Amino acid sequence: MLKRLFRCLCVASVVALPLAQTPALAEEKSDFKVCWSIYVGWMPWGYLQDSGIMKKWADKYGINVEIVQINDYVESINQYTAGAYDGCSMTNMDALSIPAGGGVETTALIVGDYSNGNDGIVLKDKSALADIKGQNVNLVELSVSHYLLARALDSVGLSEKDVTVVNTSDADMVAAYATADVTSVVTWNPLLSEIAAQPNANPVFDSSGIPGEIIDIMMVNTETLKDNPAFGKALVGAWYEVLELMASGTAEGKKALEEMAAASGTDLAGYEAQLGTTRMFYTPADAVAFTKSADLPKTMKFVAEFLFDKGILGEGAPSPEFVGVAFPDGSTYGDTNNVKLRFDTSYMQMAAEGAM
Amino acid sequence: MSDVLISVRNVSKAYGETLVLERVNLDVESETFCTIVGASGCGKSTFLRMLLSQERPTGGTIKIANEPIADEPTPDRGIVFQRYSVFSHLTVEGNLLLATEFQHAPLTGRLMGKARASALEAIEDTLEKIGLSSARKRYPAQLSGGMQQRLAIAQALLKKPKILLLDEPFGALDPGIRSDMHALLRQLWKELGMTIFMVTHDIHEAFKLGTRMLVFDKVRHDPHQPDAFGATITYDLSLKDDNTNAPEADELFPARPDQTKGPLT
Amino acid sequence: MRIINRNPSRLTNFYLGLLPFAVTAAAYMIASHYRRLDNPSDKLLPSIGDMGASFYRMAFVPDRRSGDLLLWIDTADSLWRLGFGMALATLFALSIGLMIGFIPHARSALAPYIATFSLIPPVTVLPILFIIFGLGEAAKIALIVIGTAPVMTRATAQAVMDIPRELIIKAETLGASVLQMLFRVVLPQTLPRLITSLRLALAPAWIFLISAEAIASTTGLGYRIFLVRRYLAMDIILPYVVWITLLAFIIDRLLRWLSRRAFPWDHLEGDSL
Repeated sequence: MLKRLFRCLCVASVVALPLAQTPALAEEKSDFKVCWSIYVGWMPWGYLQDSGIMKKWADKYGINVEIVQINDYVESINQYTAGAYDGCSMTNMDALSIPAGGGVETTALIVGDYSNGNDGIVLKDKSALADIKGQNVNLVELSVSHYLLARALDSVGLSEKDVTVVNTSDADMVAAYATADVTSVVTWNPLLSEIAAQPNANPVFDSSGIPGEIIDIMMVNTETLKDNPAFGKALVGAWYEVLELMASGTAEGKKALEEMAAASGTDLAGYEAQLGTTRMFYTPADAVAFTKSADLPKTMKFVAEFLFDKGILGEGAPSPEFVGVAFPDGSTYGDTNNVKLRFDTSYMQMAAEGAM
Repeated sequence: MSDVLISVRNVSKAYGETLVLERVNLDVESETFCTIVGASGCGKSTFLRMLLSQERPTGGTIKIANEPIADEPTPDRGIVFQRYSVFSHLTVEGNLLLATEFQHAPLTGRLMGKARASALEAIEDTLEKIGLSSARKRYPAQLSGGMQQRLAIAQALLKKPKILLLDEPFGALDPGIRSDMHALLRQLWKELGMTIFMVTHDIHEAFKLGTRMLVFDKVRHDPHQPDAFGATITYDLSLKDDNTNAPEADELFPARPDQTKGPLT
Repeated sequence: MRIINRNPSRLTNFYLGLLPFAVTAAAYMIASHYRRLDNPSDKLLPSIGDMGASFYRMAFVPDRRSGDLLLWIDTADSLWRLGFGMALATLFALSIGLMIGFIPHARSALAPYIATFSLIPPVTVLPILFIIFGLGEAAKIALIVIGTAPVMTRATAQAVMDIPRELIIKAETLGASVLQMLFRVVLPQTLPRLITSLRLALAPAWIFLISAEAIASTTGLGYRIFLVRRYLAMDIILPYVVWITLLAFIIDRLLRWLSRRAFPWDHLEGDSL
């Protein structure tokens, strides 16, 4: 009987092996994978891979970096959190709730942009934000849209109790808006501009009302970065080469923008319109200045409180301060013994100083 | 001698290119017990199905009591098949009640309460006669083959048909049970005064039960086109009750070079 | 003895049935153990205890925000949608299936249409469903109906056509009208097959229910799973998956019991699964 039990356990371990692999065993390595999903501020990642600029920088540091596009944003973060990738593009809010809340220590390597109108609230036939009271609001629950709604309601003295949130898949948001029973939606670009273009649609609030709170960042595993500085340098170097190209206004820069536009399913004009509502940090110095500003800790406090209120800040979190967040000046928000999210400007600083 | 009840004139039946029956002519008087034998695939069951209006002749006419035969099955002709003759979803009782229910409940075909109770009383005799009184609540799958066919015959007689058609009704039964069934069938035939057509592959059964025996076979053969010619009635024997001077099977089915021996089992 | 002739004893039978479950559970626990050695708050493979605690919280601790017991609300709403959708699908399959199977002209008119329709993956026409049925309960139920009814209709029509022709002929010789044949022969002969097709259709019905709830919803088992997936709460998702499996299993067994109870004649000759 014991022998049989032992044999079963052997079978079980073989089955379990692929699942048991964990992220970032503290070691030096040479092959890295990062993932991203389609979003205006992250299109450079696709271009990095396709143009060979990533390979050029990886070769320079003697490593391999593969950039993988994943069709589903949440799935890309989950894959990163589960350890399948060394880095992933996500917002500050999702970084706090998913990897950091799940115990995977994560570092903000490249602060790419913040949403400056890319996320917004649209009401059908009504024109003031306060009219949202009592309505069903269709949005992706627990996403930045939900956060934006909470902040918007706050600004007109309402709370989430005054509306009914209907969780709606982003893939079906545009079709949902076309139905009669949907009267208000919160969503992001390019869906937002698609919906706002409907004749009866009135945009009543967008993320430019809370500038710098919805931040899009390349997050990487802290331990992997610590053991492999070359990985960080290669990513940062490659990223700012492309961003410089985008901002250059040259023919080559235009060609890069056109490629990114095509990859996101629009044309140059459409992509530039989306960039218009995105505050891109084209230079590393810009990004460093933003990350070091005194507003970031305040923003992260809002975000942590929102997540705690929704019950998604880590298992059994007793307070919003359960997960610690470290800032470039060495200060922290929350539990200093449980710092899981770090804003680190050192690599961007190196790029700003031309030390790559 | 009674009148001609069924008259068949020059009937043929083809399925596409395959001619199954041709030039079938027949007159059958009332109260005849007509047995039909023949090799497998000779069209004897097809002929029975045409008498039932389950199929229609390709050519020729069939008349019953001088009227053209109805173009779909009707209650004046009862039928017992070898299999699937009774309703598997109804108990013995339910199977016997069904005809009455169809008659008295035009919309749903289901009797309730008092009407059902009196209909149940009416089938009591029948249950007794076929020896299924104690099995009345059982489903067909819980009955032996013989019990099933007794039920099937009783059910087929519920509408008091002038003509009873039997398609190899005892083919799946054991010999002992078969002879009990023969006795029951002879008795019913004598009591009810109906005309019976019974297809069988057992020539002894055909001799024993019938007052008239029809043999179906092909008279013309084209070895290159086996389907070109159909079968017809090759022997039409009037049988006495004692059946002493009956011909042998070999005589009825002469061996043919293109056919392996033994059409009868 | 050759292996095909060796039958397990009752006890062995029981343990053999348990074995694959035990191996799966053991594999899970081993993998979970090693992941949690590395990161104690790993979200992908939480410990059995964590999952039990989360499940208990969902089932018995009122939600902090709404005060509801989330598991029961989700279960009730999902089962209501599933039940209503399957009832409609069954009704549709029965009425159209009987016509197609029994009446040749109806078969000519409807069979190719239903056969074609059953091949359309319903999720691909979702935006059209939204416009017709809105985003509320109707659309979710419609998705279940559209996803399951055509296949069930075909199975029902086939069941009608599989009724031995002898029985129909016999009913005709007993003087039955078309309606009487429908009620007393075709319908009872078809119902057990309908229940079988209903049992088989439940698997796709669950899939359609979960996807419908993922699209736009405020409650439901599928809603909860897709919601908490946003923060990789496998400690809630995995117990929910087990719960859904259990519900599906119970419904399947109830339908089998119903069929045996209502149509004993159909289970007389060696019925298995």
